[in-house]
Amino acid sequence: MILLKPGLYLITSFIALLVLAVPFFLVQASAPFWASAGIMVLTGTEWFPYEMLFGMLPAIIGSTWAILIALFIAIPCGVATAIVTTELVSSSLASATRMGMEVLAAIPSIVYGLIGLWLLLPLLQASFDLLSGHSLLAAGLILALMILPLITLMSMDALKLVSSTQREAGMSLGLSWEALLFRVLLPQAWPAIRGGILLAMGRALGETMAVMLVVGSLDRMPEPIMNVLQPAQTLTSRIGREIGEAAFGSIHFSALMACGLLLALIGLSISLFAHTRVVKA
Amino acid sequence: MKHKNILSIIACAITAVISITPVYAHETLHAMGSTTVMPVVSEAATAFHKAYPDISITVSGGGSGVGIAAMIQHTAQIGMASRNTSPEEQAKLNEWVDNIVIARDAVAVVVSKEVYLGGVTHLSLAQIARIYRGQITNWKQLGGPDAQILAIDKEASRGTRHVFAEAVLGNAHARAPGASLISGSNNEEQAIVARSHQAIGMLSNAWLNDRVRGIAIDMDGVAISPTLEQIRNGHYPISRGLHILIAKDASPAARAFVQFLLSEKGQGIVKKVGYLPVH
Repeated sequence: MILLKPGLYLITSFIALLVLAVPFFLVQASAPFWASAGIMVLTGTEWFPYEMLFGMLPAIIGSTWAILIALFIAIPCGVATAIVTTELVSSSLASATRMGMEVLAAIPSIVYGLIGLWLLLPLLQASFDLLSGHSLLAAGLILALMILPLITLMSMDALKLVSSTQREAGMSLGLSWEALLFRVLLPQAWPAIRGGILLAMGRALGETMAVMLVVGSLDRMPEPIMNVLQPAQTLTSRIGREIGEAAFGSIHFSALMACGLLLALIGLSISLFAHTRVVKA
Repeated sequence: MKHKNILSIIACAITAVISITPVYAHETLHAMGSTTVMPVVSEAATAFHKAYPDISITVSGGGSGVGIAAMIQHTAQIGMASRNTSPEEQAKLNEWVDNIVIARDAVAVVVSKEVYLGGVTHLSLAQIARIYRGQITNWKQLGGPDAQILAIDKEASRGTRHVFAEAVLGNAHARAPGASLISGSNNEEQAIVARSHQAIGMLSNAWLNDRVRGIAIDMDGVAISPTLEQIRNGHYPISRGLHILIAKDASPAARAFVQFLLSEKGQGIVKKVGYLPVH
């Protein structure tokens, strides 16, 4: 037992080292690309590696849309499910929901991709009269399904942990159920729910396989820019499609690492944004 | 004491397993690359493993570009490619890698069943090029049904894409602004074409089926279908060799496997999968 504390410190410093090493690797591996292509590639719209054109904008916009759609659907659905299961229905139904969500969370992403390919795409194709159904909307919907369990489970835990004295104090004041929910339960649970949303967003940002199968992988700007019904590209599906043939050390490889760096930066900035907003509120 | 007993039993068991293992070394070879070549190699690997149980061969796809890159980076012993190596790739492989053609194949221009039955059974290379350049966008313009064309392009790393784009668009890396989707493996492309009613794509000859029809190519007024006969006589315009890459100093086991592919049995597998044998 005498070694417990040093051991814990050792493990923690190893983790800290890893946290620093991964971004460092991304910066280092993408440095040749930034040096040769310049920062203006961020606004370039043409990605043709064989012509040394590395416009990043279509994939950045694609990733952004896919995540926004996923969060827009999964947050209300997940939080609503958590409210109903923890506050309104019997505990046995709640544990059944929890178990269902845990099963959903454990399904590998390729399976979600295939579900998307065989069920979602024909559905989208028929309902919007599309050419193939491959689209950012499809990617967003699949991602929503994939992050829903995370948001639901975290929200359920968060609501359960609101202390019963708070709850009873609210009730003894004669608050209506709506007031109790919006004035007591959700504000108390919000930091943990936000944690769940951030984790879910991380998963959605990094998800490659499922997105790759349904997004169409077409490196072209959506026209108009809010058109999410066309085939498009995300940063992850581009990395997934091209990393195999990009020779280690080539500009192409470095450009794909730059896509990874961008994903990390997008994740970081959304997380910082969430922090500052919540601290102010 | 109980724990000690269990530990000693496990130790005995491990020693026993090690001592009864045959003296000759097991060898695992890894083949990687083109999903066009893959069906031949994976079937041959199974047959080869049956004949030589101490040699296992794992096979994975990724595309010709991936297979060639795997050879350059020494991550596989056997590379599979459905196209010729580019001059840059060749420069890195020249000294130490043998490039062996084990079969010949056609890149078929495929359309959805509805398009084929709607009347589009043959096209010229120029017409196909105009589809992929975005100048023809409806099957009606080609005498087919009134439906928008879903033109499917392939990942840049795919050998099928190289061979197709070189024959149709004049350059292996030519842009295809008329394409509305990018697919990866033969499997993925086949699934998309089969599911659509209005698709055109490029697939190896061995991947055609009822829902995925290969169309004939018009050459000087004659429609030439992607059949083994037309590949053999050299009339079909989009054909290619299927290549195996192997290091010159590869292990005897890897050498033996390549010999097996070229043997009567191996070439029989080539034929069974749907390609043209070279011997």
